[in-house]
Amino acid sequence: MIRVVGVHKTFGPLHVLRGITLEVPKGEALVIIGPSGSGKSTLLRCINLLVEPDAGSVFIDGVHVNRPEVSAEWVRQQVGMVFQSFNLFTHLTALQNVMLGPVRVKGMEQEAARVKAKQLLARVGLAAKAEAYPAELSGGQQQRVAIARALAMDPKAMLFDEPTSALDPEYIREVLDVMTALAREGMTMIVVTHEMGFASNVASRIVFIDAGIVLEEGHPNQIFGNPQQERTRTFVSKILR
Amino acid sequence: MATEAATGQTVSRPGIVSLGSVVRVAETIVGAVLLILILQWVLEFEIADPRLWSIYWRPFTDGIVGSLGYIALILPVSVLMGFFLGWARISRFRVLAWPVATYVDFFRGVPPLVIVIFASLIGPSLMPERFQSRTLGLTLAALALAFHSAAYQAEIFRAGFQSVHRGQLEAAQALGLKPLQAMRHVVLPQAFRLSLPPLGNELAVLIKDTSLLSAIGAIDIFGLSQDVQQQLIFTPGSDLRWLFIIWTAVALVYFVMTYAMTTILAYLERRVRVRGLETMSI
Ligand SMILES: Nc1ncnc2c1ncn2[C@@H]1O[C@H](COP(=O)(O)OP(=O)(O)O)[C@@H](O)[C@H]1O
Ligand SMILES: [Mg+2]
Repeated sequence: MIRVVGVHKTFGPLHVLRGITLEVPKGEALVIIGPSGSGKSTLLRCINLLVEPDAGSVFIDGVHVNRPEVSAEWVRQQVGMVFQSFNLFTHLTALQNVMLGPVRVKGMEQEAARVKAKQLLARVGLAAKAEAYPAELSGGQQQRVAIARALAMDPKAMLFDEPTSALDPEYIREVLDVMTALAREGMTMIVVTHEMGFASNVASRIVFIDAGIVLEEGHPNQIFGNPQQERTRTFVSKILR
Repeated sequence: MATEAATGQTVSRPGIVSLGSVVRVAETIVGAVLLILILQWVLEFEIADPRLWSIYWRPFTDGIVGSLGYIALILPVSVLMGFFLGWARISRFRVLAWPVATYVDFFRGVPPLVIVIFASLIGPSLMPERFQSRTLGLTLAALALAFHSAAYQAEIFRAGFQSVHRGQLEAAQALGLKPLQAMRHVVLPQAFRLSLPPLGNELAVLIKDTSLLSAIGAIDIFGLSQDVQQQLIFTPGSDLRWLFIIWTAVALVYFVMTYAMTTILAYLERRVRVRGLETMSI
């Protein structure tokens, strides 16, 4: 479903991605771990072309997408994204946040979009908060609305960039539950997270990225229980604690 | 609305006339009347003096119409220019940004009165023959005032754009919105909301700055009142206290014009208010 081949990205003198290759088959959940600054966010942003890769290829559903002929807007409709800082549109209610994409990008009728948005909010457990503005919601609620907003575009895959890192501990569970349910329903996902419980239960594979390369990759049991690389071992011991 | 009933929440969308705004307007009118009564008493004049108004009524009304005409030209031009200049300053296209920075620095550094005189003197000679007319200098000076205010408004809108968190734009892009759609539906509403209060301030200044056009012979409330003042000084039998009446009336006209404008902006501010993001009261 998503294939990344030899992707490089530099920001000025900084060589952030140094030839990343990975593949996520349809219906699988891939978890990415790695130290801060290792390029995890940049990699996700290369997949939905928020960042343009300097070299290498990104394939979505078999389509080579980082080519001038392919519109970035089209690619972003195929893969939804959830950010660490939620980024809900502050001037719109939860319902309007979820409706915006279908109405403006897909040209859906207001009423149909409203019905769909309500279903999605119900799915993330927020039917009662449809008319609330982001500033009136807790972090966990905001992030769940953000997931509903991304799902409203009927994406083929979802990217999660540390979706629970900005949350108070008591709100992490509710967001992970929504993501777990999504994975169980067969959504293809790439999740950057250091939530080991989630990674062990949900991920089919874990990729350890360090300094812009995939250092190690494998089943959760292997990465957490028996890492092959010294760097992986050090990092995993830090986050397992 | 059905959605409100379903969620048990009320969505307050203020109507055009809310009780609060009626009360505010009433307070202001009472305040203005009181001020005039006190002025009349201290300075011993009668604001409704029929002898003065038989002379002053015509210039007074002509002046108001003239001032409103200039405002109707200058205000929209300045807001449109200010908006697009502010946008250009944050544009991805750097070639747009620096000429605007120069423009802003230039107009901020020159007094509006100098700009008015300069435009009326030099402007017409720069225009082709077929545009020449008796009022060309005035029109150009009015536009120059608009350009001057646009420089300030560009900074207001730029600050508004820049205070929208960049994550907002990224989230819009990640949904698949095109750049102009992201601008229209995500960035603009938020930037507009943040720009409104300083914009109201600048527009109030602009309305009053139209009085500068009288320096080059504009038919406006300030200029015509000044003419009447000159005329009265040399009219036998005129009362010096009439000057108090004239300038009280002029002050009142500018006050009403700016007050109407700020009331409209206050209404817009309430329209775009977001629950949970209101300013706090201390
Ligand atoms: N747009 C950008 N411009 C310049 N440097 C960037 C940009 N985005 C990321 N970086 C840099 O690239 C490196 C990797 O960033 P990031 O992908 O966010 O890492 P991670 O998500 O793994 O913490 C960091 O050093 C960061 O400062
Ligand atoms: Mg990151």
